[in-house]
Amino acid sequence: MAEKVLESGSVPARPKRNQGLGRILVMVYAVFALSSFARSVYQLATEFSAAPLAYLLSAFAAAVYIVATLSLARSGRTAWYVSLVSVSVELVGVVGVGLWTVLDPQLFADDTVWSRFGAGYGYVPLVLPVLGLAWLLTHRPVRGPRGEVAGRPGAGG
Amino acid sequence: MIFDAWFWAGTALCAVSLVICVVMTALRRFPDDASILSLAAVELFLLVYGIGAAFRMAGAEPVQGAAWEFWGYVLTALVVPVIAFVWAVTDKTRWSNLVMAAVGPTIFVMLYRMQVIWFG
Repeated sequence: MAEKVLESGSVPARPKRNQGLGRILVMVYAVFALSSFARSVYQLATEFSAAPLAYLLSAFAAAVYIVATLSLARSGRTAWYVSLVSVSVELVGVVGVGLWTVLDPQLFADDTVWSRFGAGYGYVPLVLPVLGLAWLLTHRPVRGPRGEVAGRPGAGG
Repeated sequence: MIFDAWFWAGTALCAVSLVICVVMTALRRFPDDASILSLAAVELFLLVYGIGAAFRMAGAEPVQGAAWEFWGYVLTALVVPVIAFVWAVTDKTRWSNLVMAAVGPTIFVMLYRMQVIWFG
């Protein structure tokens, strides 16, 4: 109890971004983080030499999903910025790899979660970062202890 | 071949769980017992499926695909309902039920993959 809590978390009127509807987003991210992580560990451990580039990319995607899940689940300003960066990286990743695999299908020896815009996963990998960004931008961190926007629900609240 | 009794039993459970959780999202403002019990049913099925698979492997019906991958899926699937339950009940709102609704479709997809690996 040495330090005082100076954060503006004492505004109960507005549901935080990791509560209510926001928990579903985190749940879907958690499913992708868990499954892509498990799959990546298996690929790297057993058949890495078969498609090194694809499996390294899978591992990177899994890491992005894990960071996004944990940061979306946490409260606070820092977590919001980490979420924004990781979800943006995810969007760039799925669009970039998606385009790449459509233009040059021979590049990767095996499919990744982001190949063909996530078609193998029902295009959820393409929709998820868009929803994530929309959620983050409508649930920005409160400005300061006395920020004017603190008590008012945002546009998407 | 892939669509054996295991598959249909699991699919039916996942579908029932999804319907229950979605209905409870509309009806309740808290994580309903029916949603939680439907998760428990899915988890129980996965346990029985895993134990059954172990017996089948020990017996005359070995897994056709990679055993490592199969068990990776079983273990991962077993974790999903637990995560969903914990994440749902730590914020008791209407949306807790929808968090739990994510389990049914997820486990269905994983079960399908398990069946594909099992039959090679």
